[in-house]
Amino acid sequence: MIPDAALGLPGGVDPGSHVRRALAGRRTRAGEPAYMALRWAGAGLFGALVIALLVSIAGGSGQALVHSGIGFLWSATWNPAAGQYGAGILVVGTLLTTAVAMVIVVPIGLGTAAFLSELAPSWLAAPLSTLIGLLAAVPSIVVGLWGLIVLTPIFANQVEPFLASMPVLGWLFRGEAYGPSILLASVVLAVMTLPTMVALSRTALAAVPVADREAALALGATRWQAVRRAVIPAARSGIQAAVTLAVGRAMGESIAVAMVIGNRPAIPASLTAPGATLGSAIVNQFAEASPGIGTSSVIALGFVLLILTVAVNAGGQALLRRGHGTAVSTAGALR
Amino acid sequence: MSADSRRLPRPSTLVARPDAASAVAAGDPARFRAGAPSTGPAVVDHAAAALAHTRATSAAPPALSLEGVRVSFGDHVAVRGVTLTIPDREVTALIGPSGCGKTTLLRAINRLHDHTGGRVEGSIRLGDLDVYAPSTQPELVRRRIGMVFQRPNPFPAMSIFENVVSGLRFNGVRGRVLLRDAAESALRHAALWDTVKDHLNQPALRLSGGQQQRLCIARALAVEPDVLLMDEPCSALDPIATAKIEDLITRLAADVTIVLVTHNMFQAARVSDQAAIFLLGEDRVGELVETGPTKELFDAPRDPRTRDYVAGRVG
Amino acid sequence: MSAVLAPRRRELIRAAAERSLTRRRLTGRIAQGLCAVAAVAAVAPLVTLLYYTISRGAGALSWGFLVNAPTPPTISGGGISTAIVGSAEIVGLALVLAIPTSLLAALFLFERSGRLAAALRFSADVLTGVPSIIIGISAYTLLVLPLRQFGNLAAAFALAVLMLPIMIRADEEAMRTIALDLWEAGIALGARRGRVARSVVLRGALPDLVTGNLLAIARAVGETAPLLFTLATPLAAMTLLIYTDGTQAFPVAQQTAWGTALVLLGFVLLLSVAAKIAAWRISQRAR
Repeated sequence: MIPDAALGLPGGVDPGSHVRRALAGRRTRAGEPAYMALRWAGAGLFGALVIALLVSIAGGSGQALVHSGIGFLWSATWNPAAGQYGAGILVVGTLLTTAVAMVIVVPIGLGTAAFLSELAPSWLAAPLSTLIGLLAAVPSIVVGLWGLIVLTPIFANQVEPFLASMPVLGWLFRGEAYGPSILLASVVLAVMTLPTMVALSRTALAAVPVADREAALALGATRWQAVRRAVIPAARSGIQAAVTLAVGRAMGESIAVAMVIGNRPAIPASLTAPGATLGSAIVNQFAEASPGIGTSSVIALGFVLLILTVAVNAGGQALLRRGHGTAVSTAGALR
Repeated sequence: MSADSRRLPRPSTLVARPDAASAVAAGDPARFRAGAPSTGPAVVDHAAAALAHTRATSAAPPALSLEGVRVSFGDHVAVRGVTLTIPDREVTALIGPSGCGKTTLLRAINRLHDHTGGRVEGSIRLGDLDVYAPSTQPELVRRRIGMVFQRPNPFPAMSIFENVVSGLRFNGVRGRVLLRDAAESALRHAALWDTVKDHLNQPALRLSGGQQQRLCIARALAVEPDVLLMDEPCSALDPIATAKIEDLITRLAADVTIVLVTHNMFQAARVSDQAAIFLLGEDRVGELVETGPTKELFDAPRDPRTRDYVAGRVG
Repeated sequence: MSAVLAPRRRELIRAAAERSLTRRRLTGRIAQGLCAVAAVAAVAPLVTLLYYTISRGAGALSWGFLVNAPTPPTISGGGISTAIVGSAEIVGLALVLAIPTSLLAALFLFERSGRLAAALRFSADVLTGVPSIIIGISAYTLLVLPLRQFGNLAAAFALAVLMLPIMIRADEEAMRTIALDLWEAGIALGARRGRVARSVVLRGALPDLVTGNLLAIARAVGETAPLLFTLATPLAAMTLLIYTDGTQAFPVAQQTAWGTALVLLGFVLLLSVAAKIAAWRISQRAR
């Protein structure tokens, strides 16, 4: 069993009770202090690293924040040459690419999860889900490379003109379209977050008790009706958690996005125009940033990104934990 | 196993009902049920219901007939050789210790094994419809044969009202008036209407265990099934809730045929008209041992294994 | 008892059920078809990625590619050996830091209760979600700036910080799942805590520990962003090399990028598959 934690998922285990029981009234034996000191060293080192991480990011941004004030967060201009540093436009870019990526990932991910969990024959489900899981192992740089070299011309020459010609939604895709674009970045993000969405949704669906499915079938529902009306709603909080964690991953991805988004920190006229996100800006700007204010501003971008992703991830993990407790009902409230 | 014990119940068996009438007339309701503890008003209700049965169901065709039914999973046979008739609008109990195939058989009746991988052989007929014929639509069969499960399983994401009408919605019934009507009727039948009528939009999980199970019964009743299969519906409930549901079962039998799986002999004695005993054969395969009117089965069992089981020596 | 089931309602329901069946089944089939399409769409990226990486990278691949040092652009016969060796060095160094720390910290969480442990556990959970680029920035601020140089040390530090939370949580989960009872038994017998940890917990949970750590390593090997901030030259690691060469317009550079990508991908997939096989083997063994 690959521990959930290795996939970046929290375990829901209740810790500590065994410790209190076992160690009750126990005296420390000889030789133990050395071991306990080692343990403290390990935990302490980890704790120190966490703190160092936070301090370094916050500290590194200090200069920029002092210079630009709190308006840094939403100021819409990022123009280092002119000395203007504002994260606003980049936050918009991050949110936009993430949103479009989710539009792609959520239906496909949920549909795939439903297929694997409910509809596929058993001989197919396991190997297929392993295959999809392998996608998670592909390094982001390789996805970025593929996006840059393979997808860009395809998008510029075929996909984007096709989308622009669509009757209803075409207006989203009109305008300049020479390859690197918000759309392309969103597709790359979708590819990278799909395994997370599928795996977590599938877990959520599989956690729904068989009895719920059977109850629906026993009423005369078709298989799909049972899935759609009984299973998926029961897995709602787990699916929400999956989406949230996928959002967190998408927001934090920088290298692959940087390679395909075109690095233009301005409001895009359409989805096919180039843009920029927090992550891509950090990657693209870091090398050229002028020491002092420039570098500090780039670090400040990292700070904003850190806050965003931590908030979203904490929310997602809270949803996951809450999902573990849905079996507990407030029974008897209507007696 | 004597062939006699599995004969079709002839009208004369049903006419045996007058026992109840004479028992009531003789002022001694306790004699009607073998070994059942007196539960006061409930017993009188049982007798009254039985009386109603006498008048209503004289020579009605059986609701379900099973012949040579065998259920197997791969190479492993779970239950075999079941030939059984379920009389219309009566409570038939499938009794026996756990693991003897009662639940497996029950699930074969409403084709739940289509989804579990079990193979069902033999014939099961609902009236004159062959349940397993290639031309039979399982969804339509399952509407006519409802099921209540061992642990109450209301749909957690739905309110009380939505739960009750979920079956109707699955079957394409629209019409808010019709839905509301059917919901009220079903909830009344399940003795739940007064409790929940002002809380229909509350989440179903707010109800207590016994109430949830009655909700599930209402949900099953709402689609107007001919038969209601109940798989140990009280095993997860406390005694008070159990008593309420047993009471419900005897009253429901006037309108719906009920097949009840239970491992509790006393429950079967309290509630059922006909009983079928399942035990493990020598090769660890479940089989039907004897069947007959409940009273006879407990008072005067024919098969020695039944005798042992009823006396508590086995199982 | 009166017949409370109104016959008209009964008939309406029966009719509705029969009438709607065809439509319900059709909807179901379409929906199932769409879900199958979704599943195909979910597998397609991996297949495409593999196809392009292999087809374009294979051309660059040769024994010389792997073992030769890079040469200036105009001279042929160069390879990526420095990058391969560099990646291995950096990850190896990172493991030297990460493995003992994660094991000790995991033991700490496993053997203790209380608020401190809960706080550490929570920070580990949060840290797993921190984007790797931020860890890179942190390493830059903490090591590169003060020491005024880039280098493998800073890069290894960044990767270690990246791997630590994943390993700690995975290790603790493994210990809890497998060694909980054994640990209690050992303590109850009066054995020293260190002894119990070594002989019972670590030994018992070893397969799961290895599996969890393998996945963390596979992830670290493929990271680029932290290296961006800590390494001076792209020749020092495979991922950086892919980034630098891939973003150039020269076909030769892109060819090198694909070749390196193929090597990297092969290695990472190998690690992941090994981890999965190990996990599968473990679950096959009766516990």
